Parts: sequence; structure tokens; C-alpha cells
Amino acid sequence: MTQAFLTVVRVLLVALVAFWAYRLWTGTTSWTSRGVGMFFSAALAWQIVGGTL
Amino acid sequence: MKRLRTLLWLEHRRSWVWAVSLLGSLAFWAWGIKQVHAMDVGERLGIRAGILAMAAGIGAVVLCLMIGRIRAETRHGQYQVLLLTPPTGYTHIAARYLYAAAVGFAYFITIGFLYWWIMALAGIHLDPTTLVELILAVPLYGISVTVLPAMAWTLLLMVFISAYRISGPGWIPGTVMVLGTPFAFRWLVEGIVRVSYTLPGWRLFANAPAALIERFGSPDPGVTMQVNEVMYNGVPLEPLLIMLALTAAFLVIAGRIWQEVEG
Repeated sequence: MTQAFLTVVRVLLVALVAFWAYRLWTGTTSWTSRGVGMFFSAALAWQIVGGTL
Repeated sequence: MKRLRTLLWLEHRRSWVWAVSLLGSLAFWAWGIKQVHAMDVGERLGIRAGILAMAAGIGAVVLCLMIGRIRAETRHGQYQVLLLTPPTGYTHIAARYLYAAAVGFAYFITIGFLYWWIMALAGIHLDPTTLVELILAVPLYGISVTVLPAMAWTLLLMVFISAYRISGPGWIPGTVMVLGTPFAFRWLVEGIVRVSYTLPGWRLFANAPAALIERFGSPDPGVTMQVNEVMYNGVPLEPLLIMLALTAAFLVIAGRIWQEVEG
């Protein structure tokens, strides 16, 4: 039960970070800003999937 | 070079109140140090050293706030006159950073002097080499490892958020960078710990134990052995080099974003 709940929370968090990453990609014309946004989004997603968040 | 000088002058006009307030606050800390009247000399020295450490921490936060005002200034149009003018984004970032870094160096070197002062008040007489290490080497090492990267990170954060000011609220880039940074920082610290002492350490305060023994007497042999080991190893150079490289990378990225967004 707890494991299933945590999995749902993680999926939702990854979806949220993916949405933020989409907004960061489309919200600017600056490729460097996109790169910075993707780096930090990836760090967050990595931690969510890896289980430390 | 002339453009950089002009921007530095503008930076001074914009931030001198912050700089004077920060440097002036050291008078308050010096007054606070004189108010410590604990009977035991070691206790008095410890409390005074703690006050100075607190001053260093608060100073670092104030410096980050000072350099981070760039976003509000951009939003309020203070840069409108300068945008589309010959200075590149890199020059804008360099001027902003150099001014704050110079204020930071002045502040932390003065704190080094204050450490020397509290030691003199405690009756510890340092030789010239230790004095130079305390006033110059330690502040330069400390600021390079902590305050300089923190200021560069703040500057990058603000420029990164500013890159999205037309498309929508800045909370998404701000949130992503602020939440993602602790994880990236943990990886960085793990990497630094792994490579530390690959290069020979930087030996500091080789003569300090003699001055302390002269004032307080010999500690027990176990403590002496530990102190000697720390003195022999010195401080690692790798964190200094890595954090300076990271600072440069943050500044280059911030300058590049400015160039792409405003240029």
C-alpha cells in the first residue's frame, strides 16, 4: 500500500517536473537558458526517480 | 576596457549604499567584540571568534542580496538605457560581479584583521607569516570556496529568471533552479571530497601552535598529535580550484544568457 502510494506520488512529481521543463523550454528563445533549465529539471527528476526526494 | 570602467562606475552609483553599509557594519561588530567581558580568556576569545564568524555569514548573505538585485533593476527598467548599447552581456555581468567581489574582499580581509585584533586582546602574539596568513590567505581561501561561488550562483539565478520575464511568471525557473541546486551541490561535494588532497595541501599557520602554547601552555599529547597532523596536511587546494572554475562557469553562462536575451 505504502509502496504504491509512493509510486503514485513519484509519478505525479515527475509529471510536474516534466511540465516545468516544457515551460522552461518553450518560454524563452535563449538556448543557454533552455540548457540551464533542462539541467536542473533533470537533476530534480533524477532524484525523484532515484528515490531520495 | 572603457566600457567596463563605465559600467563599474554605474555599479558603484547603484550599490555604494550597500557597500558602505556592509563595511560600516564592521564597526558595529567591533563594538560588539569589546562588549564581551567573560572572565576566562579562552572563553572570551571563543565568543569573540563566534561573533566574527556570524559577521562573516551575515556579510555573505548581504553580498548575495546586493548582487541579486539585478533582476528587480531589470524589471524596473534601470537597464533600459544600457540595453542595445555596445557593452556585451559578459561586460554587464563582469561589472556587476567585480564590484560585489571587491566589496566582499574588503569585508573579509577586514574580518581577518579583526581576528588578529581579538587574538592580540587575548595576549596571543603572532609572527609576521602567521599574521599575513590570517589577514590575507584565510580570507582569500574562504571567500573563494564559499562566497564567490554563492554570488555567481545568485547572479546566474537572477539572470536565468529574467530570461523568462516576457513569457510568464518567474517562479517556474526560480523554483526549478533553487530546488535542483541542493542535489547538484551534493554531487559536487562528493566529487570534491573524492579528489581532495590529490595535490599537495596548502600549509597554513605552521607557527600558530607555538604562539598558542606560549600563551596557554602545552595541551595534552593527543591534542598535539592531532594538531600536528592537520598542520602537516594543510588545507586542500582542490576545493579552491574547483569552486573558482565553477564560479567562472556560472558567470560565463549568465553572460551568455544576458547576451542571448538582451543583446
